[in-house]
Amino acid sequence: MTQAFLELRNIRKNFDSFTAIDGVSLQIPRGEFVTFLGPSGSGKSTTLYVVAGFIEPSAGEVLLNGRSLLGVPPNHRDIGMVFQRYTLFPHLTVAENIAFPLRVRRRPKAEIAAKVDEMLRLVHLSAMRDRKPAQLSGGQQQRVALARALAYDPQILLMDEPLSALDKKLREDLQSEIKRIHAETGVTVIYVTHDQEEALRLSDRIVLFNHGGIEQIGTGEDLYQRPASAFAAGFIGNSNFIDIEVLENRNNIGDVRCPDGSTLSGVPLMGRTQTGKAQIMLRPEHIRLTAEAEGIGGHVTDAAFLGDVMAHTVLTGWGQEIMVRTPRQMFMGPPAGVGDAVRLGFAPADAFLFVPH
Amino acid sequence: MADAIAVKGVRAAQAAPPPPAPRRLRNGFAPAVPGLAFLLLCFMLPVLALLLRSLTQPQWGLQNYAALLATSTYANVLFNTFAVAGLVTGISALLGLPLAWFLAVAPRFWSQLVFGIVILSMWTNLLARTYAWMVLLQDTGIINNFLIWTGIIQNPLPLFGTMAGVVIGMVYIMLPFMVLSLRGPLAALDASLFQAASLCGASRVQAFTQVFLPLLAPGLAAGGLIIFVMSLGYYITPSLLGGAQDMMLAELIAQLVQTLLNWGLAGAASFLLLVLTLSLYAVQIRYFSPRRGKEG
Ligand SMILES: Nc1ncnc2c1ncn2[C@@H]1O[C@H](COP(=O)(O)OP(=O)(O)O)[C@@H](O)[C@H]1O
Ligand SMILES: [Mg+2]
Repeated sequence: MTQAFLELRNIRKNFDSFTAIDGVSLQIPRGEFVTFLGPSGSGKSTTLYVVAGFIEPSAGEVLLNGRSLLGVPPNHRDIGMVFQRYTLFPHLTVAENIAFPLRVRRRPKAEIAAKVDEMLRLVHLSAMRDRKPAQLSGGQQQRVALARALAYDPQILLMDEPLSALDKKLREDLQSEIKRIHAETGVTVIYVTHDQEEALRLSDRIVLFNHGGIEQIGTGEDLYQRPASAFAAGFIGNSNFIDIEVLENRNNIGDVRCPDGSTLSGVPLMGRTQTGKAQIMLRPEHIRLTAEAEGIGGHVTDAAFLGDVMAHTVLTGWGQEIMVRTPRQMFMGPPAGVGDAVRLGFAPADAFLFVPH
Repeated sequence: MADAIAVKGVRAAQAAPPPPAPRRLRNGFAPAVPGLAFLLLCFMLPVLALLLRSLTQPQWGLQNYAALLATSTYANVLFNTFAVAGLVTGISALLGLPLAWFLAVAPRFWSQLVFGIVILSMWTNLLARTYAWMVLLQDTGIINNFLIWTGIIQNPLPLFGTMAGVVIGMVYIMLPFMVLSLRGPLAALDASLFQAASLCGASRVQAFTQVFLPLLAPGLAAGGLIIFVMSLGYYITPSLLGGAQDMMLAELIAQLVQTLLNWGLAGAASFLLLVLTLSLYAVQIRYFSPRRGKEG
């Protein structure tokens, strides 16, 4: 087996009696952009801080190029980090902040000057070199922090929700900038966010965290098309969960009954159950509004035209709201309006079946 | 609707000339007159009178100032004064920094308890505190007895009636000023700054000298200046805890006036003390005032 660039093995961290992360294992190849995605409190930062060396794990191992990082203090780990909060040194100028890691390494003056210029160009802030951090906007401060973290060509760049304090427009600008910088430098990045859109936009792979453990690892498309759990399905993209009962299991393909008593056949059971209570998840774009006699019945409670799609909310006979998104070109005739009685049609193969614990 | 109003408001604000400064503030000297008059009468006039005496008694000229600087006894007093003030300032900084650090990072209960003790010691009568130190510092006082009992020393340390005793007693009085000056800047420090410094490759020593100290410099300077200036003119503690050979400037002035009735020399010494104090204050305003810090 080839050796991973960075490997986490079965990391656990207890704070007193509380277990913040448990059994986190992960391999990251050199140059990859990996995002830790998950709700607040799911253990993303704790895992990141274990890599940085600020938190010592209660159990487990962190290996960089096959060598353990545990016991190596943060200042010898050769890791760069951009924090959620602005952590530029307030008494130093932009250029001095970027030079700081090189100065403490006692690099020659000429080399420092050249590197600072290069980094300022990389983050497009050459004009701001003599400003103090307090004279910069939040977005500019994070760009300087990025330049400072990259100035010493670290093996790994860690970012803990670096854009969460910025407004949406600025966040998107900086996301493209981060993407460009990753492509230009080829540095291995671990990026923490709770924003699925940000994760999907940036990452080669996403590590989905939940309750201190890893729920699923994969590309954005993996997570969207093949969610491994109801949590993954619910966290990435929009989803409708419907409680069903599996009546019949034929070679892992099921006949199921919906709450209104209607039945469907051909639902893939994914080896998750024989028969009994379960849930199916349907993406809003996999549901059609039909006038046919079969399918789940309901009536429209909200209809919104969103440019390229129509978004409908349909209240089913058993009182659940189902989201439906229909691409514009799929419309035949005028779209359904509020109050219209409709039926929900979908291909059974598009349904994901989960068994709640 | 609300948007339109808001936009209108912005336009109006841009078009209008900058609002004139409130008139009240410009012509606001009147209420300050009693206070200013008091200062004039009770501070400026006596200072001028002193200056005059230092220049005229026993005759016109700078002979008092020359005597102060040239006579070895007086020069010695000046040296002692600076030595004690410098030592007290330095030791207060060395002790105050970790103490203020503790206040900033300790759990709330401990931080408030220790801060309470610091403040309480400031509020206790100065004379009472100094007498307490007299008891502690004697040859047969608690400190010497304890050190002899533990076997660390054989004979009592000369603590009472020496410069060491003066410095100990004054550090105790000055320490709270250092803690108070450092508490604010320390509380404003963000722990992630040091995490960032560490990941940047800085050792503990480098993080301390290149991040921690520069950020605290204004607080250290402010506290240090208060302590140094107060120490230069300190009277009670040096006269109660010190010996004749460790006389400080304020004691000399008192002696010149009360025993030697040499008003000219006393005036010169006082005026020298005042000038020293004001020039140090000017340095503080020029280089360390918080407003400049924010601009720079
Ligand atoms: N120093 C700490 N002491 C106690 N609990 C902590 C500490 N740090 C984090 N936790 C807890 O560990 C859990 C995971 O935290 P964290 O890794 O910061 O989550 P995330 O970054 O995913 O929001 C949270 O429940 C948090 O309250
Ligand atoms: Mg976090």
